[in-house]
Amino acid sequence: MKRIDGADLIDRLGIGFIIALAVLALALLLLPAVIVVVMSFDTRGYISFPPVGFTLDWYVKVFNQPVLVDAMWTSIKVGLYVTALCIALGVPTALACARGDFRGATALSVFVLVPHMVPGIVLGVAVLFSGALLGIGPSIWLQSVSLSVYVMAVMVRTVMARLQRLDPLLEQASANLGASRWQTFRIITLPLLLPAILAGAVFTFIEGVDNLSVTIFTHGYRDRPLPIELLAIVQNSNSPLVAAVSSVQIMLAVLALLAISLTIGLDRVNE
Amino acid sequence: MTRRPLLLRLVDELLSGRGIWPAVPAIVVLVVVAVIPFGVLLSLGFSDIVVSRGVIVSQELSLRHLTTALADPLYHTTFRRSLTLALTTTFFCSLLGFPVAYLFLIGGPWVRRIILVLTIAPILTSGIVRTYAWIVILGGRGVVNATLMEFGLISQPLRIINTHWAVLIGMVQIHLPIMILPLIAVMSRHDSRLEEASANLGASRLATLRTIILPLSVPGLGTGAALVFTLSYTTFVVPQLLGGGNYLNAATMVYEQVVYSLEWSKGAVTAMILMATCLAVLLVFAWLTHIGTRWTRVAQR
Repeated sequence: MKRIDGADLIDRLGIGFIIALAVLALALLLLPAVIVVVMSFDTRGYISFPPVGFTLDWYVKVFNQPVLVDAMWTSIKVGLYVTALCIALGVPTALACARGDFRGATALSVFVLVPHMVPGIVLGVAVLFSGALLGIGPSIWLQSVSLSVYVMAVMVRTVMARLQRLDPLLEQASANLGASRWQTFRIITLPLLLPAILAGAVFTFIEGVDNLSVTIFTHGYRDRPLPIELLAIVQNSNSPLVAAVSSVQIMLAVLALLAISLTIGLDRVNE
Repeated sequence: MTRRPLLLRLVDELLSGRGIWPAVPAIVVLVVVAVIPFGVLLSLGFSDIVVSRGVIVSQELSLRHLTTALADPLYHTTFRRSLTLALTTTFFCSLLGFPVAYLFLIGGPWVRRIILVLTIAPILTSGIVRTYAWIVILGGRGVVNATLMEFGLISQPLRIINTHWAVLIGMVQIHLPIMILPLIAVMSRHDSRLEEASANLGASRLATLRTIILPLSVPGLGTGAALVFTLSYTTFVVPQLLGGGNYLNAATMVYEQVVYSLEWSKGAVTAMILMATCLAVLLVFAWLTHIGTRWTRVAQR
């Protein structure tokens, strides 16, 4: 039997402490979301822990508030515009970055990533001011275009990572069999890229729906998107209605997570 | 040989994949919507402007706003507060993030899956929602106060929300996933034989952690720290909602100047200083990571 001496004890305590910290961190990530979902079912008109009853009224109310429903539609539209733009501009850019042998190919792949590293509020303010210089006011279009520029990096990076892993022999074989480049792209490359494009689309869509830093400076005053409405109601109300809206968002995030794990797999997200 | 239509040949040329052509539309959009606006922002920071109905009607070169801001004590306290907050957040995120990444490294497939779900799900959730959760937890009738009163530890609810502490707690929790993901990415690239070799040579797990795993995760720590710092230095959701509207950090300052008081020259100057200071800290981080990586190579020998 193994004897536990002093050094071994310190080793166990040390590792135990680190694992305890890890568990604490994971609990810290999980619990707030659980608590919000729990509170959204409370019957009282104000947030007070612990909940005393169970009702789905707050969820009914969320979808009966025209302001919130309009904001949701606006944000879904923005999410779709952003995703469409990011696919249309980002996928070809990823192709050029990964395959190009022109001078500055590396510089290009860095350049495309820069807007995402700049603080969102700086980009938002910059776009708002430039628009004002040209007489273009904030609108759903200004918001969508600036958000696309902000998150395009995610699409380019995801698709590039996939392109670099593709077996070049597949495309060569297709060419040797007499397929045109367009046929090769359509029949071989595109289907292989599809999971990456879908994963990128999940992230760009989420950013289009959730982003506040760029949105707050560029959104239209008539088309108020969800983050703006949410910020306003979180600041001004203490009812479980906010918890219900939040729970809906948390559930959407879980759905998005499912979508990702089914397309590229969770462990690939990190690339 | 049949002549293929012009359009198809054009598409072929575009798809040949060696030219810059496929990227041109994106480059044009990035220049128009990012590069030029940054230039405009810089130029506004260095000028006097007149705004009328959301349109800039005149612009004159002037250093007035920049010099006023640099001499303003409000700017000094605000930027010092934001820097301290962001650096503290970065520190606590690495303190909590590293153990999670270590657990990922030594854990089985289910532990790994749980860690991935718990770190990726928050990234897909709105920052406002995640901050709101802390209002529910730390508020007057929130989870913490209710629990403490239940056990008779306090008779009056503690004032936690709208304090510096609430902001810090919220900041750390919200930016934690951004620290964990790069750490996990770097750690899963390690050659696991290094750790096995270390164990076979009789090193304890702590010694292996200190001499092998920690040095090898320096690049991940660097990336994570840079991301967490940038985001926490420039967010206004958390300070706005958990600081009770009177916790002014640099980002809330930009927001108030641009959206509420419509002092655009001031806003441009603040945004410029924000960007410049952020870049300066990131350069220091990059330098530290570089030193740390050199240390890694020594450790690998």
